[in-house]
Amino acid sequence: MAGPETDAQFHFTGIRKYFNSYTLTGRMNCVLATRGGIALLLYFKLGSKKTPAVKAT
Amino acid sequence: MNENLFASFAAPSMMGLPIVVLIVMFPSVLFPTPSRLINNRLISIQQWLIQLTSKQMLAIHNQKGQTWALMLMSLILFISSTNLLGLLPHSFTPTTQLSMNLGMAIPLWAGTVITGFRYKTKASLAHFLPQGTPLPLIPMLVVIETISLLIQPMALAVRLTANITAGHLLIHLIGGATLALINISATTAFITFIILILLTILEFAVALIQAYVFTLLVSLYLHDNT
Repeated sequence: MAGPETDAQFHFTGIRKYFNSYTLTGRMNCVLATRGGIALLLYFKLGSKKTPAVKAT
Repeated sequence: MNENLFASFAAPSMMGLPIVVLIVMFPSVLFPTPSRLINNRLISIQQWLIQLTSKQMLAIHNQKGQTWALMLMSLILFISSTNLLGLLPHSFTPTTQLSMNLGMAIPLWAGTVITGFRYKTKASLAHFLPQGTPLPLIPMLVVIETISLLIQPMALAVRLTANITAGHLLIHLIGGATLALINISATTAFITFIILILLTILEFAVALIQAYVFTLLVSLYLHDNT
């Protein structure tokens, strides 16, 4: 079962150290990054809908 | 016939006043509080059953999870007694109401999730991504796991509602068919009656099994978060 005690067996470097699907921290960061990305996408998508298009006169 | 089929699921009222609260509270009367060291037969049997169930259900939990013992045992006792009382003729079964089951499922599920996020934040968040997932599948799997988490309370409530409601409807239909067939063909009516008896036995089992399944799933969600 995954946990802090099994994380020691993985030796990642660079960005993989913080974003991977093996260690607890890596999995947490991937989840937060995915959700943050979706939140940003929705924010900009809904934000652009609110701004009305300028009509040509 | 159509109106009568669903009449038993309508909220009961007596002289214009809703009595659903009384019906929901009634099963507690059947479980008297033990007041002596050695109690009467009813209480002794109930205590034995509760100890047997609680030992089996709480064996997987750690100390934090076992603080939910009273909650889980109350839940299984309430749902099983309500379901069994509902099998009495002309009685109202509160667990056929989706509102009631959602009212049980959502707070309990939310309690387990909040417990997990409060005491094991990292592990609770990491739980949304299975270990060893290939890189390209990570975003999709996070979304799928989030949706499956949010579906859990709905599934809990709808499972109980659908099982109990379907059982009651079947008993109603087959009972009606038996009565209708008596004047047409006694042999067919007899066969239908046998089917009705077997179905009633099945519904007794379903009543207990659904109570167990509901409580077990809440217990498993708690185990994942403690």
